[in-house]
Amino acid sequence: MIIETEALVIGGGATGTGVVRDLAMRGFKAVLVEKGDLTRGTTGRYHGLLHSGGRYVVRDPQAARECIAENRILRQIMPQCIEDTGGFFVLTEHDDPDYAPQFLAGCRTVGIPVEELSIAQMLREEPLLNPRIARCFRVPDGSADSFLAAELNAVSAQEHGARILNYHKVAALLRADDRIVGALCEDLVGAETVEIRAEIVVNACGAWAGKIARLAGLEAPVIPGKGTMLALNHRIVNTVINRCKFPSDGDILVPAHTVAVIGTTDVKVADPDHFAIEPWEVELMLDEGEKLVPGFKQMRVLRAWAGVRPLYQDASVDDTRDVTRAFVLLDHEQRDQTPGMITITGGKWTTYRKMAEATVDLVCQKLRSPRSCRTHLEVLPDAPGGAPKARSVHSSLTAGHRLAEVEQDQSYGKLICECELVTEADAVRAILLGSAKTIDDLRRDLRIGMGPCQGGFCTYRVAGLLHRLQNRPVEQTNLALRDFLQERWKGLLPILWGQQLRQERLDELIYLSILNADHLPGPRSGPLTPELYSPPDIPGAPPAADALPSDCQEFKTARPPIFSTFAKPAEDQPPPLDVLVIGAGLAGLTAAWVAARRGLRVRLIAKGWGALYWQPGCIDVLGYNPNDREALISAPVQALPDLLRANPQHPYALAGLDRLERSLAAFSALCQSAGYPFSGSLEQNWLLPTALGAQRPTALAPETMIAGDLTASKPALIVGFAGFADFYPELIADNLSHQGVPARGLWLSLPEVARRRFVNALTLANLFDDPRFVESVAEELLRQISKKSDFQPERIGFPAVLGLDNPRRALEQLEISLGLPVFEIPTLPPSIPGMRLCRLLVNAIHNSGGKVYNGLQAVCAERENGKITGVWSEAAARKTLHRARSYCLASGGLLGGGFFAAHNGLVSEQVFNLPVAAPASRHGWLNREFLSGKGHPIFHSGLRVNRDLQPLSSDGQVFYENLHILGGALDGFDPIRERSLEGVGLASGFLAGELL
Amino acid sequence: MKEGLFPPPVEMTLDQCIKCNICTSVCPVSAVTDLFPGPKYAAPQAGRFRQPGQPNPDASVDYCDGCRVCNLACPTGVKIAEMNARARAVMVEQGAFNLVLRLRNNLLARPELLGKAARPIAPAANYLLNLPAARLLADKVFGVAREAPLPAFSSDTFTAWFKNHARRAPALPGRKVVYFHGCSTQYYERRIGVAAVQVLEHLGFEVIVPRQNCCGLPLLSNGEFAAARRYHRSNVANLVEFARAGIPIVGTSTSCTLTLKEEAPELLDMHDEDSALVAKSTYDFNEFLLLLHAEGLLNLELASVNLRLLYHIPCQYRAHRLGHLGSELLGLIPGLEIRESEVSCCGIAGTYGYKSEKYAISMAIGAPLFEKARQFGGPLVVCDSETCRWQITHGAHLPAIHPVELLAAAYGYPPLDALAEILKGATEPTAFS
Repeated sequence: MIIETEALVIGGGATGTGVVRDLAMRGFKAVLVEKGDLTRGTTGRYHGLLHSGGRYVVRDPQAARECIAENRILRQIMPQCIEDTGGFFVLTEHDDPDYAPQFLAGCRTVGIPVEELSIAQMLREEPLLNPRIARCFRVPDGSADSFLAAELNAVSAQEHGARILNYHKVAALLRADDRIVGALCEDLVGAETVEIRAEIVVNACGAWAGKIARLAGLEAPVIPGKGTMLALNHRIVNTVINRCKFPSDGDILVPAHTVAVIGTTDVKVADPDHFAIEPWEVELMLDEGEKLVPGFKQMRVLRAWAGVRPLYQDASVDDTRDVTRAFVLLDHEQRDQTPGMITITGGKWTTYRKMAEATVDLVCQKLRSPRSCRTHLEVLPDAPGGAPKARSVHSSLTAGHRLAEVEQDQSYGKLICECELVTEADAVRAILLGSAKTIDDLRRDLRIGMGPCQGGFCTYRVAGLLHRLQNRPVEQTNLALRDFLQERWKGLLPILWGQQLRQERLDELIYLSILNADHLPGPRSGPLTPELYSPPDIPGAPPAADALPSDCQEFKTARPPIFSTFAKPAEDQPPPLDVLVIGAGLAGLTAAWVAARRGLRVRLIAKGWGALYWQPGCIDVLGYNPNDREALISAPVQALPDLLRANPQHPYALAGLDRLERSLAAFSALCQSAGYPFSGSLEQNWLLPTALGAQRPTALAPETMIAGDLTASKPALIVGFAGFADFYPELIADNLSHQGVPARGLWLSLPEVARRRFVNALTLANLFDDPRFVESVAEELLRQISKKSDFQPERIGFPAVLGLDNPRRALEQLEISLGLPVFEIPTLPPSIPGMRLCRLLVNAIHNSGGKVYNGLQAVCAERENGKITGVWSEAAARKTLHRARSYCLASGGLLGGGFFAAHNGLVSEQVFNLPVAAPASRHGWLNREFLSGKGHPIFHSGLRVNRDLQPLSSDGQVFYENLHILGGALDGFDPIRERSLEGVGLASGFLAGELL
Repeated sequence: MKEGLFPPPVEMTLDQCIKCNICTSVCPVSAVTDLFPGPKYAAPQAGRFRQPGQPNPDASVDYCDGCRVCNLACPTGVKIAEMNARARAVMVEQGAFNLVLRLRNNLLARPELLGKAARPIAPAANYLLNLPAARLLADKVFGVAREAPLPAFSSDTFTAWFKNHARRAPALPGRKVVYFHGCSTQYYERRIGVAAVQVLEHLGFEVIVPRQNCCGLPLLSNGEFAAARRYHRSNVANLVEFARAGIPIVGTSTSCTLTLKEEAPELLDMHDEDSALVAKSTYDFNEFLLLLHAEGLLNLELASVNLRLLYHIPCQYRAHRLGHLGSELLGLIPGLEIRESEVSCCGIAGTYGYKSEKYAISMAIGAPLFEKARQFGGPLVVCDSETCRWQITHGAHLPAIHPVELLAAAYGYPPLDALAEILKGATEPTAFS
């Protein structure tokens, strides 16, 4: 393809989109090419600070002047992109007090409005700031949405006739004699070559400008200066906070949408495409953050990323901060006697418009067509169908505006990205009207996947929507899903510890245990697959921290003092309980049930409900060989002996295979007697369809699921419900068809669902508990099936929502009405089949006289002579003590919250302070690929135990004879990778229940 | 989260959320109405969008009934109900509710004021408040649901009885206790205070009833934080000297004790030394008796009470995070068979179910409990919290009593009202009667 134009702009960041808008507004024919999505480069990877210029007043007054002038203009032309947060410059105890007067003088000289605040006033406005801050100055900084701003510049350019081509990578610059006359581009999506002929080429590639110039044999001396940033989980400040000192690392904290971003480092890198986020950078951000906000290091970090500044310099300067932050326009005709190309680089986001203006002024000169700039006069337009945040044009942006909109529309039941409050309608509009090619492009449009769960829930939903709306080959959808998961993982890797690591483990449970996304058909990477950061240079691993158990004096002394005045110490009395179980997952509930059934006095306490609420509600015993996770296990009974020989520490080895079988039999008997029968054995794994259409191996499944078994290739109709965002029938059906099971997807629209504003799995399950609703589902489905004469299903799959109280009744009713076998497919948490199991077990415990209390978080234990003598749990106003003959720890590992993995690399068990076997250093915790077949070493962490499940020290001594460890807290296996979570829970729970 | 601050401040706990939806799947409110989008949305999600000093973006959070079922189900420790209560307070502060609603909420939230005003004319007030026309008017004008269960004012207060009552068992050295009666015992259900004093005195305690006022919980749950702060400050001032002297403060209203222990200091950020000391010294009645029992100090000479009763643990009781102490304590009474309701919320949630716009939601939330109580067949339901009792009686048409009434009866004190009717012939005499 050949395109002819007056001006070609290379680079789709702030500068490029600004230039193309300016060109188009001045009436030039213009085309912009960008090798990725708009803002994929530095513009999309900066902290979002709209500079007042205060940062530069002392060192670089020219840059400061540009900033304050443009700051004022941008507030006028893009109010929808700028939140008027204001900014503080604070003088901490670490900063030179002599800088403050220079700063004030500089602001006055340059013309930046500045006022000094009292520290009391500063703390009223920003209560989390360090009270030891000595001085505080207010300046007109702001917080900007650079994604939206670039997009709106592009939209405006298009309205004025320009063309924007993303995913067009410049392969070569075209030359005619000495002159640059255009570029040869590869269309990465359409897989074709596009020749663009232009009278002038504008190289607006920022840090990549040198790379583009070199294509023409020219030099643009641009140093890529890497800057690493961290986002905190929420806005801990509402004002931009700058340190009052010479610009340095980690001295800016910016509230941006729902997060707070701390930045940055500044490191010269050789190549803007290949660099690493180094551990020292993360540490530095945390250390500097702590100086501004005490407690910063304990806060949840969401993500780390790095952008590359374009720093222009002619001579070599060692410290990139000494390079001017003012922008540079290179006229290659003058510099290199090569007409036809100019390079605009340097500068910063705040001055992008000014840079564009200067560039297009030069273009006018080159094309001998003087026309004046109007970009500072016209307000940017609204995004067509794209960004929800753009709806409130002309109103000033606030952090809460998105919530206010959702509340006003009562669209809270239609969210597909719950963290960032993106509705299904927003996503549909962006997919249909926008130019997004990948889910990551949609992220830049919508902010999907940018919140706490980092794509945990929305990736599946957006993939389902994409597939539904774009009707593309299912391998492409699978790839888009995997690419986005990997893209999110990339930014998580440097900061995974604490609660974000737990979040990531839940995301892993969703994409592995529930969806089996690591075994989807299709290629593992494609032309749009994002690049990874390079692996960091890891310094020598820190020594493993000492994690020996210690007494918890703090809680011991917290005993209600009032009762010490009474005569009789409690210790003299026999414990009121036989067993205290900590944790309400499958392991804890099983142990409590088995023990209560034996007539023991049992109490189970748990901080909240456990992993059963998330799991698919089947009993996975072993699905993949831990050493070769591509190898699906069809007969656990054959694979288990090998596994146990290879790994004698595996919980199954401790429990013994016969006990595993007995526990499965007892569990099946319980479920049978409760009217919720399970089916299956260790002889043969079921292969059940997931909500992505992958095959999930599991040993025991409720009868509501077994008709879905994919070892039979009977054609299946997959039914979703309009309004329910956690199930996408076409995606499932297409993946099933791809794997040899003919399938079709169908959406049912039912009035009972349509009138609900809020539809989740539980809403549907409650509806299915009513036979009248089941009847109407069957009627509508029969009507739909009769319309599709070209497809004769032999079974029908529904999301696993066929009732919470009485799923069997709903299943039977459907099967009779439809005349076909019906099955359930588990989907995103909350898991209805998991909740059924939880309720079933809790009832069984109650019926055997045991007690189950949730909301009681065990926090510490008392011990004496190698025995546990009591466990304290958290309660209103003070702790409360539970005393029992024996104790079961079933609080899970990192997923269940039984362990906490700290930033310093220490993994600790939360109640008894037992030593956790874990990689010695944080750098060994994780693999670079999210869906890596090897899994992540940190998730192998656990407690070493003997055959009686008693915890062991490293030299094999039993710590406490009356304490037993079960379930996910056990060492030596990764239950999610090998799909053994429920099997280990049952077997170890059963063993513990029998031992007590 | 052992690292860092423990316990973490209310809003900071949103960082604990891993979005797992457990809270949403247990919420009794979002299960019955679309007007409340569930705890995950309302607290940790919306919390990332709320900013001090900016216009309040909320509306739906007002439909949270504050039952805290979500808090207890949350595996990561997000203080959901507290965040919702604080978000509602910002709505109040920023004028999200019109004057009539504010007036209505303030009236409902001031049982003490109502009690003081109505007690001298109790019969007339009761008559008036049960007139269908008056209730219709209150519904239409003020938004007080006309069907909702208003309790009857006692003609005499608890404290009046207390001043004149005669102690039956001798006080033992070192046994002193402060009794926090709360508004309902003072103005509506004197019999519960009577039973509490009888039991405590029976155990050898000298019972002190100091000056006290409403705990402020109804104000807290209506977002009226300024008034709640005044109430709590005054209670702390009245109670702290006893706390300093090591005298435990015991209450039969589980909501009042929870407010003194945790809700008021936490929601109002009142972390001063005196508030903390009062909090640490406050005990729920069952908790106090079971702690005595654990020390071997509870008198176990209890007459049998041959009844089979349904016990409903109130949400505010669960929120103490002590387990189901009511049924444990009642389990000590011979002959008495207690079955727990195993249902989460009765729906009244303090003042929630009294509001016209929320009455239907409240009744829908309570429906499973009412059904259970009806199926169980009475003769009465046991429950620690006053408004829950009134709601159960309203929804299941069964009388409801406090556990302490059964305990007092088992110690041989003549029961009053509903229990008296039912116990005719169900107890056996003991050495103390």
